[in-house]
Formats: sequence, structure tokens, C-alpha cells
Amino acid sequence: MEKRSILHMLDPMPNNSPFDVNMAMDAGFDVLVPYSNVKLDSVNRLTQDTIFSRSPAGIKRTGIFIGGRDLGLAIDMLDACQQAMVPPFEVSVFADPSGAFTTAAALVACVEKELKIKHGKELKDSKVLVFGGTGPVGIATGIIASLAGADTYLVDHLSNEAAAEVAKTYNRRFGCALTGVCANNDSDKINLIADVDIIFSAAKAGVQVLNSLVLKEANQLKVAGDVNAVPPMGIEGIKRNDLGVSLTHAINSKGAVGVGALAVGNVKYQLQHNMLKSMLETKTPLFLDFRAAFIKAREIV
Amino acid sequence: MEKPFILHMLTTAKNLSPFDVNMALDAGWVSALPYTNVEASEIQGLVQDAIFSRSTKNLKRTGIFIGGRDTKQAMDMLNSAKRSMVPPFEVSVFADPSGAFTTAAGMVAAVEHELITKFNTTLAGKNILALGGTGPVGQAAAVISAQAGANVRIIGRQLEKAQHIADMCSNEFGDGKITITAGADSDKSEYIKTADVVFATGAAGIELLSAALIALAPQLKVAADVNAVPPAGIAGVDAFNNGTLIEGSISGAVGIGALAIGNIKYQAQNRLLKKMISSEKPVYLHFEHAFEIARDYIKSNS
Repeated sequence: MEKRSILHMLDPMPNNSPFDVNMAMDAGFDVLVPYSNVKLDSVNRLTQDTIFSRSPAGIKRTGIFIGGRDLGLAIDMLDACQQAMVPPFEVSVFADPSGAFTTAAALVACVEKELKIKHGKELKDSKVLVFGGTGPVGIATGIIASLAGADTYLVDHLSNEAAAEVAKTYNRRFGCALTGVCANNDSDKINLIADVDIIFSAAKAGVQVLNSLVLKEANQLKVAGDVNAVPPMGIEGIKRNDLGVSLTHAINSKGAVGVGALAVGNVKYQLQHNMLKSMLETKTPLFLDFRAAFIKAREIV
Repeated sequence: MEKPFILHMLTTAKNLSPFDVNMALDAGWVSALPYTNVEASEIQGLVQDAIFSRSTKNLKRTGIFIGGRDTKQAMDMLNSAKRSMVPPFEVSVFADPSGAFTTAAGMVAAVEHELITKFNTTLAGKNILALGGTGPVGQAAAVISAQAGANVRIIGRQLEKAQHIADMCSNEFGDGKITITAGADSDKSEYIKTADVVFATGAAGIELLSAALIALAPQLKVAADVNAVPPAGIAGVDAFNNGTLIEGSISGAVGIGALAIGNIKYQAQNRLLKKMISSEKPVYLHFEHAFEIARDYIKSNS
């Protein structure tokens, strides 16, 4: 009899996310086992306990998921898992803290597609602002955009230093070239927005980051994407289901379009589903993070 | 392909109760996931994570169970979960802290059955003493029977605490539509003289009603004991009793023991867990629904 598939769900937080639990079951895992309050230094032992208790055939029916809220920690845990493998005793590992990797990958892929279709441009030709740039989704969005060649700015709403610190940390880790900036009022935002091509809004749900007064100061905006699904939306004028709909408030940017949260959410959902499924279908172990997520998100869009 | 049934099991305690886990899987939930040390402030986040990750069709195959040990906390969490739903993204929720709601429902339904069959009467207007009644089972039993029209007095060792619990039961759980009174354990020889029904819901292994007190009860009809560990909570009522005459009762009172109650509790919990799965619309289940379903079970089996 084929062994049941098992997903070991590691989380540094006190509890897993029910979102990830539903997604993992629906992707076909038979049994989910939560591990909460997991510390980085326990990952090696947990991984080896996972791999050494099943034959290599059974190992293909076994996976590890890494959740939590902290991007850096999730990546550290993913690395620790990978280092703990003893081929042929290896399992697939997928890190998606707060769903940030799949959300960011979906957001960038949707925006990239509109940029190509509507404006014939690439990310590498673009100047990019990420509002909510120091939160999990914002950071992951910035890293993906920067690694794709965009000139990328993480915008924090409180502090220049905090933004610069985040940019420095992730540049060192992932070889990207992020710049941290601060904008805590409309005139700051107007100064930043004049010559940008792309805006990502990854700020807190229910907070309007850019209003029509700010948007009209953008002179070459091409695509804006928003992940906030709770009214008011992050960018005025973008509706949740918009996918390449004209950005009416950016009156000085010819042909600018918007991508809304549910359009991004649809891609994120498919993406997380497919990535979880790929862990069950693969012949060789997969180690999945935001980079893998972005490659798959590009395929989906 | 049909998606699997997932029950997200939340508790304020350090661990889930294996009782609830077994019950959930046996009722047909395919996967039962624990969330422990959950605080009230986390409910909204957990609920919304649960509802936004499945289609509305598959949300019918998704549920939330609320355990823990504290009745008020559990009811607050149930209400907070209900408020966090975003229709049509909505799932069923069932609160049964320490199994107290279904245990209380099983006990009260069993007592009602004895009143009807042996004494040709109902809970309405009966004087009930809930001995050791300040705990979760005592609270829920008091509210359920008061809602059925009984005059319930919660008896505790400290009057002040019993009074506080009685007020909470009347106002919070009974919506201010019932009045539950309180009494001190030291006064129970007085209260027993007018009691029709006694619930013993104290800690296991403590005798709450002695043979001497039973002899002082001229209108006692039914005495129910949820304690399965000797000595019995009510002298002369053992765990297997199910409508058995209590020796020494001058009024011909009958006893109901822990195993008889436990059987109905089991049925009620099983049926409520199944109801979450079978219901077309989301349901929010607590002690009232437990009592309804326990009554139905007894009716269909008698």
C-alpha cells in the first residue's frame, strides 16, 4: 500500500496559519502535523527525524512547510533544512511565511505582465516604488523586483533609517540592490512618485496609501499593483478585481493601468496550490522560496 | 475531487483534549488541527485565514471547534468568531469547553426524561440545586435548566463566588432572561428541604450529598451525578444508575449516574460535530443546541 503523504508544518509562531492548513490539505497532503514555537536551532533535528523515519520511496510522500511572519528567519530555516538533508534521504521544503512569498511573486508577475502588454517594457527598464516596503510582502516584492533588474525603492511610512536598514540587510543576503526611503505625508510621496514606472502597494489592509492628488503628480507611471483587499484600497481608483484597468487618477501618466488585490489573490492562490502539489509530484526534492514562487507565478500569468 | 473535511480546533489551554480530537475524527472530520494557547485577540486572524483559503463550496467542509476550560472565554470566542465571518465566506463553529456543554446537556436531558416518565412532570417550576455548581458543567446545566423554566440555585463553598457565577450565568449566558440564584454549601441542609432535583457537578471523588441529607428531602425526585470516580458525588447513586431508586429517599427519588449521562453526552457531541458537516448553512453551536440534540436523542431512544 502506498504510504500516506505527510506534511510537517514548522512555525516559529505559537500556531500555524489555518490558511496554510487548508491550502496543504486541498493540495493533496493526507496528514498535516503542526510544530509550533520552532526555533532555528531545532530545524536540523526536526529535518533529520523527518528523513530517517521513512524509506527513500516514502520520503517522496513527505514534505516540510515553513511558515511564521519573519522572512529572514523563514529563509534561514529553509537553508537549515536543506543542509540537514542526507541524500538519498531528502524531502521537499517550501517556505512561505505569512504567505508573503507567494503573494509577492503573484503581485510582481501580474504587474510585469501588464507592463509588457500595455507598455512593451521590462522590469529592468523600470523604476519601482514599494509602499509598505518594510513589511513581509513589501520586502519580498522588493527583492523579486530588484533581482529582475528594476531600480527598486522600499518605502517605509515612519523612518528613513528603518527602511535603509531593511534594504541593507536584504541586499547583503540576496544580492539585490534595494534602496530604503521614507514617506510619511503626501508631499513626500509626490516627491518620490514623479518619475517612477511602477508602484506596488503592500501596506496594511484598509489603509489608503496613495490618493488622487498624489497620483496626478506621477508623470510616467505605467502599472500600479495593490494587495489590499479591505476598503479603502491602497491606491485610489484601483478596484479589487482590476487587472490592467486604466488608472483614472494618474492623469499625467499616459496609459497607466492598475492591478487589484483579488486579481493578485487569484494568482497567489493557484501559485501556492501548485507549489504544494509540486512537492508531492516531484521526483527530486524541491527547495522552494520566493525565487521559485516568482518563476512559477510567471508561468501562471 | 471532493476536498477533505478540515476541523480547526482552537483552545485557550496548552493542549487540546484528546477526547475532542477522537470525537471529531469519529464524527467524520478527516483532519483535525490543533491551535493552542489561543487568545481572544487572535480569533479574528485565525478565522479569516480559515475562511479566505477555500471556495465557499469547500467552506462547507471546513469548521472551527472551540475547547478550553472556561465557559465565558469559550462563549466570547464563539461570538467573536461569528463576528469575524465575511459572508458568503463563513464556516460553522462549535464551542464545548471541557466538554462541559454537552455533558451538562446530557445530564439535564436525562433528568428531564426521568421527571416526565417517573413523575409525570417537567423541568418547569422545579427547584434545582446545582451542588459544586460553580464549574463549567454546573454553569451550563444551570443555564439550560433555567431556560427550561426551572428555579436553579448554584451552590458553592464560598457564597460570594457562587453569587458571582450565578449572576454571570443569568446575564451573560441567559441574556438576562433567566435568574439563577446562589447559596452556600453550609446551608444545603436547608435548601434540600424544598429541592426537586439535585445536580452534583463538583470535583471527582467528593461526596456533595450525603445519605443524611437525602433523608431530609421530602420532595426530591431526581438526583444526577457526573462524577464517575468513587466515592460518588451523591450517596447511593453509582455510575451505572439510570433512573434507579435511591435507597433512603422518602420521596422515591431516582438517581442518574455518570455513565448514563456520559452516553448521552457522547451522542450529543457526536451529533453536533456531524451537524457542522451536514448543515447547508453555517451553524454556531453551544449549550442550547447541545440540549436540543440531547433531548432529540433521548426521545428517539425511548
